[in-house]
Parts: sequence; structure tokens; C-alpha cells
Amino acid sequence: MRECETIREWLLAEEDERAPEAQRRLAAHLAACPECAREARLLREVVTRTRALPVPEPPAAFWVEFGESVRRRLAAVPPPHPRLWASAWRWCRGLGGPWRVPALAAATALGLLLAFGVVRSHRALREAPPADALALAEDLGIGQNLDVLENFDLLENFDLLERLDLLRRLDGSAAAG
Amino acid sequence: MSTGDWMRRVAPPPSSTDCAAASRVSPADVEVIQRVLEGEAGAFDVLVSRHQQAIFRLSYRMTRNVEDARDIAQDAFVQAFRSLGSFRRQASFLTWLYRIAMNLCLNHLQATTHEDPAEVDARVPDDREDSLTALLMDERDRALTAAIAALPPHQRATLTLRVHQGLSHREIAEVLGCAEGTAKANYFHAVRALRRKLAALTETE
Repeated sequence: MRECETIREWLLAEEDERAPEAQRRLAAHLAACPECAREARLLREVVTRTRALPVPEPPAAFWVEFGESVRRRLAAVPPPHPRLWASAWRWCRGLGGPWRVPALAAATALGLLLAFGVVRSHRALREAPPADALALAEDLGIGQNLDVLENFDLLENFDLLERLDLLRRLDGSAAAG
Repeated sequence: MSTGDWMRRVAPPPSSTDCAAASRVSPADVEVIQRVLEGEAGAFDVLVSRHQQAIFRLSYRMTRNVEDARDIAQDAFVQAFRSLGSFRRQASFLTWLYRIAMNLCLNHLQATTHEDPAEVDARVPDDREDSLTALLMDERDRALTAAIAALPPHQRATLTLRVHQGLSHREIAEVLGCAEGTAKANYFHAVRALRRKLAALTETE
């Protein structure tokens, strides 16, 4: 009985889908088992009869009208364009044997570089302080160098001293003259 | 539209399937699609006239109604035109068209079920079909047609794609957007249900 169950499952598969060994086992079983042979005959009849069921065969005029109707409807539809991903996929598939791997590798590397660049610039933009903060930081920096400011007078005096030195030298040279 | 005259002319039983060969990748289809995408929208006519019969028959086998089948087939072509840019060319164009048409058929069946439960409860396709076509069938064919119409939509879809369009289980799974195992299970259930019907008919004879 177990064999009959297996055979009936095989009967539902198409002949070209069965392995040669299964085909031989099936034929041997059907020759010996009238019940399964009847089942096989019925299943064959189901498929043959279903395939032969009539369908309408419209005349040429029907198809003329059909085509015109489709054309009218298509006239109102924007023309189709290849989608970007579909074109890219076709391009990849269309690449010849030796070039496929290097081209795909180059495309992947380029993609990664672009992605890295985008991420970095995004991060840099996100981390960039606003203009107010920059001004404040500048002020703070100056504030931290208050000692320079404190000695600013002295620096001015240094300038004076330099000028005095120059004046002295000029004075000296005039006196000598 | 009066379909009575030509409904009598019934397609001869196909030797194998409607379009098993056509379901494979056709380089000619790909060339036409390329032309359409490059701006020659009129080239789409070639695809319509090439596949209109297959799509109409598929829709008819699902709906059992000529007007519905015609409308669904036209909708399928319009939808295919709109989405042509996303068509991936490693698949067959016809299989892709089947997917669009089958989705429309399943939506139509769902809507019909929702709108008119009484009609679905009856599940007698001959009620909606031209009576002349019904006359051409013998009792077994009529019983078989009724049994097919009574199948759950996904089983009917699987049976149609397998028996009439000659698609493999893998292709059926692609069309219906399900696992290959599910497609197989649907086919097995459908064939078993029809076999039971046919066996019951044989026993009463």
C-alpha cells in the first residue's frame, strides 16, 4: 500500500519530471496493480480532457477591434522608460566574461568611495559649529591670552623705545656730521 | 457585442499546449521591448498582436466569459506598457504578461465573489457562457468544466497555467508569486478534485 501511495504521487508529476529510475518503477507497478493503473488512466483523462476543453476562437474583426481599443488606451499613457536599476542590471549582465569581475570590482570600489565621501562630508557638516559659536570661541581665545593684553602697553612702549633708538642714532649721525 | 456566431467555432484541441514554446525567452520580444523603451511606442503593437490570443484564452479560461476575458486582456497589455521599464529581461515576456493577466483575473474573481455570492455559489460556468458552446461539449466535458469552475481560484490558475499554457511548476510559481512547492500542491489538489469528479461520473455511467 505504501508503494501505491508513492506511485500515485508520481502519477501527478509530468513524465519529463520523473527520474528514469522512478519511471521504470512506475511502469512495473502499473503493470502489476490494476487499482493504480485505473488511477493513472483517470489522471491522464483529466489532463487530456481539460486540455481539449473548447475555448472561443474570435474572428479577425474581434482582434482588429481589440488592437484599436488597446492603441486608444495606450495613447493616453506616458511612454515607458527603462528604470535606472533595470538599466544598471542589464549593463552588468551584458558585460563580457573577462571584464565582468574587474568592472564590477571597480564599480563597487567607486560606490564605496562615494559613500565614504558622502558620510564624511555629512559628518563634517554636522560637526561644524555655528557662526556664533566661532565668534565666541575667538573671544574666549583672546580672553585666555589676557597676559598679552596686559603687556600690550609694554609692547607699545617697546615700539617707542625702538623709535627712540632710531632717533638717537639719527641724532648721533647728525651731530657727527 | 454579439459573440454567438463565432462562439460556435471552437479551437481544435491543441496537440500539446497553447504556447509552451512561446513562453520561453523570445529574442524577438526583447528587441521590440528595446524599441519601445527607446521611444518607438508604436512598436508595442507587435507585442499585442503576438500575444493577444494567449492572454485572451488564459483570461477566458479563468473567467469563462468573453467580455470579461477581453477586458482583462486589454487591461493586461495597458499595464504591461506602463511597467515595461521595469521588465527584467532574464524572464520571458510572455510569462511576465501571464503574471499581470493572472493577477487581474484573480482580482476579478475576488471582486465577483464579493459582489455576487449567489453567482459564485452556483459555480456553473455554463450559466455565463454562450449556450452554443455548452452544446458542443459532451456530458463529461460539462462536468469537468463545472468542476474546474468550482476550484479555488489559485488552483484553477495553476491548472490553467500548467495544462493549457504548458508552464513548469517553477514558472507557475513565478507567475503566481508563490513557492514552487505551493504551485505543485495546488496542481495536485486541482487534478485530484477533477479526477474524483470524473471517477464519480464514470461510476454512474
